[in-house]
Amino acid sequence: MFRKVLVANRGEIAVRVVRALRELGIASVAAYSDADRGSLAVRLADEAAYVGPSPSSESYLRIDRILDAAKRHSADAIHPGYGFLSENAEFAEACGAAGVVFIGPPAEAIRKLGSKTAARQLAIAAGAPVVPGTERALSGWEEARGAADSLGYPVLLKASAGGGGKGMRRVDGESELQSALRDAASEAGRAFGNSEVYVEKLVDEPRHIEIQILGDHHGHLIHLGERECSIQRRHQKVIEECPSPFMTSHPDLREQMGQAALKVARSAGYTNAGTVEFLVDRDAHFYFLEVNTRLQVEHPVTELATGLDLLVWQLKIAAGERLTLRQEEIAWRGSAIECRIYAEDPNHDFMPAPGTIVHLSEPSGPGIRLDSGIFEGWNVPLEYDPLLAKLAAWGPTREAAIRRLDRALSEYVLTGVRHNIAFFREVLADPEFRGGRLSTSFIDRFFRRRKKPEDDPEAEAAAALVLALSSTSSRPAPREVSRWLDSGCEDILR
Amino acid sequence: MTRHVSVDGRSGKIEIEGSRLRYEREDGVVVESKFSLEGASVLLNGRSYRVSKGAGKEIWVNGRLFSMEVFDPRDLRPGQGASANQGRQEIAASMPGKVIRVLVAAGDAVEEGQGLVVVEAMKMQNEMKSPKAGRVVEIRARPDATVGAGEILVVVE
Repeated sequence: MFRKVLVANRGEIAVRVVRALRELGIASVAAYSDADRGSLAVRLADEAAYVGPSPSSESYLRIDRILDAAKRHSADAIHPGYGFLSENAEFAEACGAAGVVFIGPPAEAIRKLGSKTAARQLAIAAGAPVVPGTERALSGWEEARGAADSLGYPVLLKASAGGGGKGMRRVDGESELQSALRDAASEAGRAFGNSEVYVEKLVDEPRHIEIQILGDHHGHLIHLGERECSIQRRHQKVIEECPSPFMTSHPDLREQMGQAALKVARSAGYTNAGTVEFLVDRDAHFYFLEVNTRLQVEHPVTELATGLDLLVWQLKIAAGERLTLRQEEIAWRGSAIECRIYAEDPNHDFMPAPGTIVHLSEPSGPGIRLDSGIFEGWNVPLEYDPLLAKLAAWGPTREAAIRRLDRALSEYVLTGVRHNIAFFREVLADPEFRGGRLSTSFIDRFFRRRKKPEDDPEAEAAAALVLALSSTSSRPAPREVSRWLDSGCEDILR
Repeated sequence: MTRHVSVDGRSGKIEIEGSRLRYEREDGVVVESKFSLEGASVLLNGRSYRVSKGAGKEIWVNGRLFSMEVFDPRDLRPGQGASANQGRQEIAASMPGKVIRVLVAAGDAVEEGQGLVVVEAMKMQNEMKSPKAGRVVEIRARPDATVGAGEILVVVE
């Protein structure tokens, strides 16, 4: 096993990796940029290595600086987390050349699966169903128009090197195609340094269901079942669950999708943890979407439902150990649901809202798991993705898990930045959500039927009381309230 | 003690006497109660409220956000506030971020809704639009500059 591992990431996932390392008795080194000098991961890790200025292109994305940090701290392996260099084949290769283990799949597998178009071709060859579309990057407007015409609108433009919904555009007719193509290409170029775009037939109101896979270097490959991640905004997942409520009415689907995922992974020579994403239509047809050649943000729901620790397995597998789990040993118990706490404003188009965390009180209690990267006083930097934390709940049934998650959300106090905690409580209370009737257009539809929150004048009075008393304590006005009230207010307003 | 209150754009008034409060809204709704305040906890009519103040006007009560301001009636001056979309308009950044592009030049005629400046934060771009048709009289936004929420980027007249 490794002695020391560099964590080449930030935020909650860096904390998650540091935690796993400590549990295994492995020393951790947190890579940090200027903006992350004060981060929770740096505070928790055994060592910390500066990797450059705040923009990720000058720090977390710099292969040379990450490798240099590993060398300075004598790390024998690097965990890339998700995002940044985690799906960069060149980085995986450079790690090998520098004598450091890259904790993830082989560079060759990343290369085969990293480009969505290449992955599609591989999936077709392996016999996995795919959504009809171009199998390679579009050369330009003429080809895009021709392809979209023959597929029939609506179509979806996607970035070849993409992920997280960046560089993705729905196009309903030819009049929108040209500007959508330009936008998708420029967004892809900015996000991935590669502006190639391809086009697919749009599957209307699909579910997004993905299969977790795990494979060792000795030819053993298994799947850990599905996660349903249909609740998305801007094509980015915000609520994920395991099992998918769709599996209740389609009991054979998990195994069918699991086998399709394994075919794709096997033909790419995949090892370590990975995720094969599918779209599933109303009639339970599933279509291969892409492979994320890394640990997913939403891995905790699989961990809660299967009782396995994916990070520990990633480390063991990367160290050459055998994956000792047999497929038939994998069992799913109860239900797990996670929501991603973002610094963003759900009432204004989920606009990112960086700022300083003024007050934080985190939920806990039975069945709750919190993977958080923040603390009181932390300044959420504007340079990175605004994910603050992931709150997950486990329960014996889906209904119990939802109630638990809602209870935990009700305990969560987070002020100073706008966030989506209250929004999640509304979604969890929604009858469509409760009924498991999910699709990737859920949030758009939810906004159309969303009710105004109930009038609560007493809650307003409580807020007005606190503000009125604090306004007197912060200035030399005539005192009308007792001293203990003032100190109470100052405590709140700190 | 009496304070004027603005809650989510609606006005009201709170009167505090010893350990009693009376909260009255412009729509006539009244809350009267004894209160107890301890740290972040407020008890009203036996019910428990957890109150935390965030940045700016945000205040959270039991996981619900209110946009609230409290004014001392002695501070209120008459005659403030011009009607919307009339005369000189200052277009400010709606979130902290970095100026990616300035789409207009001083002296340009602009349409209502026309994009003026693109601000990026956390990998998301936001186009600041003109609230009215008119002429750009001043550009304060500089490409690559970091701006705070509320910082004025462009002035349209």
